[in-house]
This record gives sequence, structure tokens and C-alpha cells, in this order.
Amino acid sequence: MSPIDRRMLYHVNWPLVGVLAALFFVGVLNLYSASGVRLGEGVSVEPYYQKQVIWGTIGLFGMVAFTAFDYRRLSAVAWPLYAVSLLLLLAVPFLGKTIYGAKRWLDFGLFSFQPSELAKFAMLLLGARILSAQPDRLDLKRLSYIIGLGLVPALMIIKQPDLGTGMLVLLLLCGLILYRGIRPWLFRTLCVLMPLVMPLAWFGLKDYQKRRILAFLDPATDPLGSGYHILQSEIALGSGRIFGKGYLSGTQSQLRFLPEKHTDFAVAVLGEEWGFFGMMLLLSLFCAFLYQIATVAREAKDPFGSYLAAGVFFYFFWQILINMGMVMGLMPVVGIPLPFISYGGSATLVNFCLLGLVLNVSMRRYLFKQS
Amino acid sequence: MKSSYNSCGQEPPRLGVGLLQCLIFGLFCLFAVRLWYLQIHLGPVFTEKSRNNQLRTEYIFAPRGFLRDRNGELLAVNEPAFVLGLVREDCDDIPATLNQVAAWTGLPAERLKDIYARNKPKVKPFEALTLVPDLDFPLIAKVEGGSLRWPGLEILSRTRRKYIYGHLLSHVLGFVAEASETEMQADPTLSLGDFVGKQGLENRLDDRLRGAKGRRLIEVDVTGRRLSEELQRGPKAGEEIFLSIDLGLQQLGHKVLEGKAGSVVVMDPDSGEIHALVSEPSYDSNTFTTGLSSAQWAELRDDPMHPLQNRATQGVYPPGSVFKLLMAAAGLHEKAIDPNETVYCTGELALGNHVFRCWKKGGHGTVNFQRALIESCDTYFYKLGMKLGVDRISSYAKLAGLGVATGIDLPHEKAGLIPSREWKMKRYGVRWTKGEDLNMSIGQGYTGLTPLQVARLISALINGGKVLKPQLMRGVPAQVLSSVPLTPEHAAMIKRAMVATVEDPRGTCRRVLTPGVVVGAKTGTAQVVRLSEEMKRMGDAVPYRFRDHAWMAGFGEQGKKRYVVVAMVEHGLHGASGAGPVVKAMLDALFLGKKELPPRDVGGAERAGEPAARLVVDPVEPTFPEVPHEPGAAQ
Repeated sequence: MSPIDRRMLYHVNWPLVGVLAALFFVGVLNLYSASGVRLGEGVSVEPYYQKQVIWGTIGLFGMVAFTAFDYRRLSAVAWPLYAVSLLLLLAVPFLGKTIYGAKRWLDFGLFSFQPSELAKFAMLLLGARILSAQPDRLDLKRLSYIIGLGLVPALMIIKQPDLGTGMLVLLLLCGLILYRGIRPWLFRTLCVLMPLVMPLAWFGLKDYQKRRILAFLDPATDPLGSGYHILQSEIALGSGRIFGKGYLSGTQSQLRFLPEKHTDFAVAVLGEEWGFFGMMLLLSLFCAFLYQIATVAREAKDPFGSYLAAGVFFYFFWQILINMGMVMGLMPVVGIPLPFISYGGSATLVNFCLLGLVLNVSMRRYLFKQS
Repeated sequence: MKSSYNSCGQEPPRLGVGLLQCLIFGLFCLFAVRLWYLQIHLGPVFTEKSRNNQLRTEYIFAPRGFLRDRNGELLAVNEPAFVLGLVREDCDDIPATLNQVAAWTGLPAERLKDIYARNKPKVKPFEALTLVPDLDFPLIAKVEGGSLRWPGLEILSRTRRKYIYGHLLSHVLGFVAEASETEMQADPTLSLGDFVGKQGLENRLDDRLRGAKGRRLIEVDVTGRRLSEELQRGPKAGEEIFLSIDLGLQQLGHKVLEGKAGSVVVMDPDSGEIHALVSEPSYDSNTFTTGLSSAQWAELRDDPMHPLQNRATQGVYPPGSVFKLLMAAAGLHEKAIDPNETVYCTGELALGNHVFRCWKKGGHGTVNFQRALIESCDTYFYKLGMKLGVDRISSYAKLAGLGVATGIDLPHEKAGLIPSREWKMKRYGVRWTKGEDLNMSIGQGYTGLTPLQVARLISALINGGKVLKPQLMRGVPAQVLSSVPLTPEHAAMIKRAMVATVEDPRGTCRRVLTPGVVVGAKTGTAQVVRLSEEMKRMGDAVPYRFRDHAWMAGFGEQGKKRYVVVAMVEHGLHGASGAGPVVKAMLDALFLGKKELPPRDVGGAERAGEPAARLVVDPVEPTFPEVPHEPGAAQ
């Protein structure tokens, strides 16, 4: 079977591609405004939107590349990739370079690389491979085994420290587990136990993380410190009201009251300038996007493909939930970007590649039937 | 579809797909509700907060109104002052810079560090923080010269109130100083470093002098840097105010009182305008505008001569024989006096087991109403006092505006004291005695008056009984507060007696005789303490603090011009010799034009001896001391 069949082009999931294009366009448009800073005369725009377009283009190639092979082959590399990512994560504390007080990067001369990105992908593959092979809903033994597999890289990432990515790895795996389903009695027990275990996690948090959570619970206690982000972001969103202040006219962002406005809080800029109306449009786009991925998962030819698509679904779902929840003051401040809206080079590349994987699963859904 | 899963031998995760769809639905609902809440429900609240972030209101300084004397001579102006500021953002090494400033100015480095620490939270990093509020030229030169080596230091120009005749008018004009925390809280338009009137007219007329600040709306970014501004209201300069004070006369008053403690008041008896209001010793208003150090403040406050006290309105003294004028008016009104009836003065009057003496040993012999005033015969007024009694005297005195504040536009005015039976009972718990009637009728005892009250009394006696509000501003319509019951005939009799006191060969006020002017006057000599026989023998050599206060209250009239002049010299011994020359100098100036414009009192010359940068260090809120002259001390 040739990697690319002409017939497969007919089965490309064009609705998904369309929603993706719309999201990316909205993201770049918003980024142009979010990177603007008003000075005495006129507006100075940092060229983040250009970089985002360049990364998007690179991402497009990545996406096509990820459709070019039969995804079932990935099943075979799941374990080796997991092992490699663990090794790299292990190397980070010794060889990594420190940026902003955290050791997350490995320097390869030409480019630096975050092993945690690879770990996310490896977790996705391994989760899909193991769970798709489960004949039954998970019992405690299998659940512990799979969670254990996820905890190893997750804890290593959290120690870097990078709470956001570490949690994302675990959440991704949890999503997949729920997608597979666990035994009802186990599910019920966990529902009771989880709230009891949660407070214990509090003692494992760093001081700045505790402060962020406290500030989230009551932003007014420290309006200029940890609560500042949440407060300013809510002000930006709220002052947008129904139709927003108009494109390029957001005062919270243009006058820099909103922090991290082109990365983590980029969606607040959109909310300020386009209002409730714009936010509902974006929310609908995201929901349509997730729905398309969920459809691919449902209609996938084989379980591995279905679990791959579901993994990608959760990868995006958690990011959207956490980031937008944070911007709206529903979640503590955790450094997780919003896909396609926040600026981020490698994140954009990874997002596109993962969608390539979804498209890969999607376009091969009829192929095997005939073979 | 299902067949494909079955072909692999596995169940499709049907629940899983359902879960994904539920998650999407949940996400949508959660965020939609939250967005509705934030953007629509709380939208107006956050819009307001966003505006508060973005817009700042800034006030534009309005220049304080000038003060001029009645002839237009400038008394108080605004002048540029140079201030040393520190821009934190530009400064490399703040402790070293502070030490350098300390070396230049001679101020202790701790003081500067204290000023710096106190103002730091109030000033933005790119704005100048005031370190030294008053720089002289040598210091400016030093700072300018070192500006390359000490980045962040800036010389700023501000306006400061300047009193051209700092010593001459300090009791009238008062002074301005930087607004205190409480004043800033009370008035939101006041900000750090603004000046408000703290004393004198500056305080009373603060609203008119201050004008209205302009307001401008500035758009700022998160660092506070301004991006655009919009003028909402232009500043309105304070009003220029012309005082009724005549600078030349005021200066003369200070000159004749130099070295003494006392007061002169010159009042127009028809309009109530005050032409001179002098209190010696005085202080320099300018020392307050730059902020007073505690040492300077302590020196002024603890000065035994009480320079801070305005003796014209806050000095309460027993009036002595000047009070006999009021007694005469009261006696005529109560028909207790027949002007032609005579009293024989033997030099003493016995009441019970106490003997009341007339000031003249051996007595005045036969005296009638006019003669009694001319020679200030105590016996005559003892007898009048016995007839009238305290009740009638004090109610008449109240009608003449004594015992209450005159209402002049100066803060902390004293009301003086006119005693009554009720007052004494309440104050001492003892009944009023007959002997006190006698004492009161010659202006001794508990009675206490301020020089301004005496000036107003004389005005009322010669203007037909109108008790006026003393005006410190030119051209304000006369304000009659009450009136003294006084028929024209009685008024003429009193006036005639006062003129005779000056013109009669045996009159007590002969020394104020002024050619071409009708002058009437009355002396007063007020006991400070009852002197022992030994001290009486010492005559004029008694110690200063036991000497009697000297009064002279009079008027001059020439054509349509007439003025009341009251002089009070603390411990001046005798009314005529102590206060007379002061009244005479005033009358000469008023009617004969013998006055000269004073040389400027304040300037570079006077301040050269002091360290230049002595200012703000720790400003003290001046509170004025209680008057040392309790009327009760007289007996």
C-alpha cells in the first residue's frame, strides 16, 4: 500500500481543516493586536504575528508529513519513543540549560529542545497502544500500571519545574483511560478517594504555586502580586462587554495592563476587543474543532486510530479548558498556552503535527475496509 | 462501522465517544455562562475598572492671589524657588547620591535618607522626588556642575509664597505652608506639596486666594507614563486682594514700638477699615513657607516676648482708665450722672474697712464730669461705679462689643472678658463684692480687653454708637454688628471731654496735641500686679515684669478724615509717657504726612547668614500659645 493514495485525498477531513484554518487565522489576527503597544504617538507592533505565520507554515509541512505514512506503524515505536523520552528527561537536570529559573531545555547547538514535548507525544502513543489493546474496562491492577507509566515522566517534568506540562501529560493519560473506561466500582471508589488525596498534593507545591492558587481563590488579597494577572485579565474581558472595544483598541492590552498578553493571556485581548460576541464565536470554533476530532475518534478504522484521535482530543481539550478557565478566573494561573491563539513556535508546530495525525487516522478510515 | 471494530475482535469505546461529546458540551456551557457573567452582567463594573487603569486625573496649579496694601503696594507675591529633586529611574547609586547631596548642603545624611524613604512610595520612579526644597545659587551651581557625575539629580522650579515685608505684616497676613495630611484628606484637590494658608488672612481668605486648580485627564500605560492628555478645566488664578492696611503706617507702628512689646491699631471709625494693625515683637512669615525646623519653631514658641502672638487681637489686658470712657457713656445713658454735679476728691474713698485710693495723692478737689475725665479722677468713677453696679456696667459693655470677639478676619481672636456676677460665681464660686464694682469702674480687676476691642469702642463713641466689624480689606461696606445706646448730646459730651484731655493744661494727654487736628484721647495705666509699698517707692525702676501696662486710646479729626488710634505698650509704666509717643507718631503720619516707606525687610541680605538649605526637615504644625495675660492676674 502506497503511503499516499489518490483516493485518500477524497477522504481528507475538510471540515476539520477548515475549522483549523479559521482558528489559525483568528489567532494571527488577534496576535497582531496583542503584540501592539501604544506609545506616545501611534502603536508599535512586535512582529510576533509574522513569526506565528512562519511557524504555522512549518507546521503545515509537519502536518502533511504526519499524514504521509500509515499511522498503525506508530504502534511499533510507542515503547522505544517512551524510553527515549525518559532518557532525555533524565538528562535534563545534568545537561539542561536554565531559562527563567527552570531547567527544561536541552541544547543541541543548532536548536534547543524540550524533552517534555517529546514526552507528551510518547505518552499519547503509548497510551493509545496499551489502551486500545485492553479487551475490557480497566480494573485496579491495569489502571495502576498505566497511571504508573504516566507518573514517571510527569513527575520528572514537574520537578524541572514545569507544573503545567507535567499535569498535561497526566491529564492526557487520564482522558484516555476514561475514554477506555474503568470498572464502575473502581470509578466510584476513585470519586470518593480523589478529594481526600488532593489536599496532600498541596504540600508538594512550590511557594509561588501556592500563592497562585490562593490568589485564584481570592484575587483581591494581593492585587499587585499574584492576583494581578487574574484581576487584569478579568478587567480586560469584562470591559469588552457585548461587542468589544474594537479591533486594535483594547486599552488593557495596548497600555500593557494585561500581562503575558501575546502568550498565555492572548484570548483576553480578543475578549476585550471583540466582546462577548467574539468570544462566543471563538468558543464555537473550538467546540466545532473538538467535535471534528471526536468524530474522527468515533469513525476510526481501528481502535489504535480511535485512541490516537481521542488522545489528541484530550491534548487540546485540557489546554483549552485550563487556559480559557484561567483567563476567565475559573482556574489558577498555570502557564499553559491556548492552541492557535497564544504565540508559541514549537507549540504551533506540535499542534499542527498532532492534527496531521488525526487527519491521517481520518483519511484512512475507509481504506482498510477494502484491503 | 461497528463491523470494523468487530473484525478486530474488540468493543468500540461507545461510552468514550459519548464522554468526548459530553466534555465538549460541558466546556461550551461552562465558558458561555462565565463569559455572560463577566462581559454582560459585570461589564459595566469592569469597564469602570478599565477606565481607572487607563485614565488619571491631574490637577494644574493655580497661582495664589497677590496681596496688596490699600495703596496697591505689593505685600505677598509668588516667586520661583529652586528645588533639588531625585529621579530614581536615572540614578545609579542612590545612597551615594544622597551622601553627596548631604555634603553639598550640609544637611545630615540621615535626614535626607528619611526624606527619601518617606516620599518614595508617593513618587513614581520617573518623577522627581524632592530632596531639598530651597536651593540658593551657589548650591545650584554645585549641583549643575556635578550633574554628569551624579545622574538623577534635577533642579526643578516651583513657586513659593514670598512676603515682601516679612516682619511687618506677619500677624495680619499670617503665612502659608505645605498642606498637612488631614488638610489633604479634607480637600481632595489638595495634593502633596500644595500650600495652604495656615495663619492670618492667608488662612481666613484661603478659598479666595487659592483660586481653582485646573484639571486634566491623562491617559497612562501600566508604568504610569503619560500617552495623551486632555484639558478639562483651565486653572483659575486666586483673587488679588487689597487690604485696608496702609503699609507706611504699619511700618511706622513697628518702628515706634521697636524694642518694646505692644500693639497699635489704627481704625477708620466710620467704615471699620483697619489702617494699621501692629504687634511687636513679630516674626518673619517667610520662615514658615519653607518649612520650619523643630529648633526654629522651639525658638519662636519659647521666646519670652511671644513674637507669635498677635497682641492686637490676642493680647488681653486690663484697660485701666481707658475704661472710664465706657463708664462715662454708661453713666450718661443710665442717667446716673448729672454733668454739672460735682464730686469732691480727697484722694481716697473708704468702703467698709477698705480704702480705695485715687491715683493722685491728695486728690483732685472738686471735679465735675468733664474734669473727672480730663484728669482721670478715680474717686469720681468709684462713686459712679457704686451707683451703676456691675450688672449695668457689664450689660452696657457687652452692647459696646466688649467681652466678645470683634469678628475681624483673623483666626484665634480672643474675646477678652467683661465680668459679671454670674461669671464670678461660676468661675470662683464666690459672690461678687461691692469693692469689685469700684475696681471695675476704673478698668482694673477681671476686665480684659484687646487693643482692637478698645479701638472699636472708641470708634463707636465717636461715630454715634455703631459697633463695627473691623475690616482688613479695602472698600468693603461697613458692617454694623450692634449699637451702643448713646444720644448725640452724650456722645458730644464724651468727645468734648476727650478733646479737652488733650488740650487742657492739666489734661493727661497733652503730649498728643497735634496742630491743625482735633485730637481727643484717654490714657490708661493698667496694674499688672498689686505692688508692694517697697516697689512703689522704686518708682519707674520696678522690674520689667511688674511694671504697669500703658494705654492710650484716641482719635484725630481733620475735615472729613477721622481715625481712631489705640496704642498699648506692655509694661510701659504710664499711659501718657509709655503709649503717648506711639499715638503721636501715628497721628503725625495720618494727618501731617510724616511717614516714610520702609526699606524692604526681607531679602538676600537678611537670609545670607543662615544656612541656605535649612528647609523642610521636619515641619512642625504651629499652634499658638495661650496669652500670658490672664485678666485675673491684675488683682
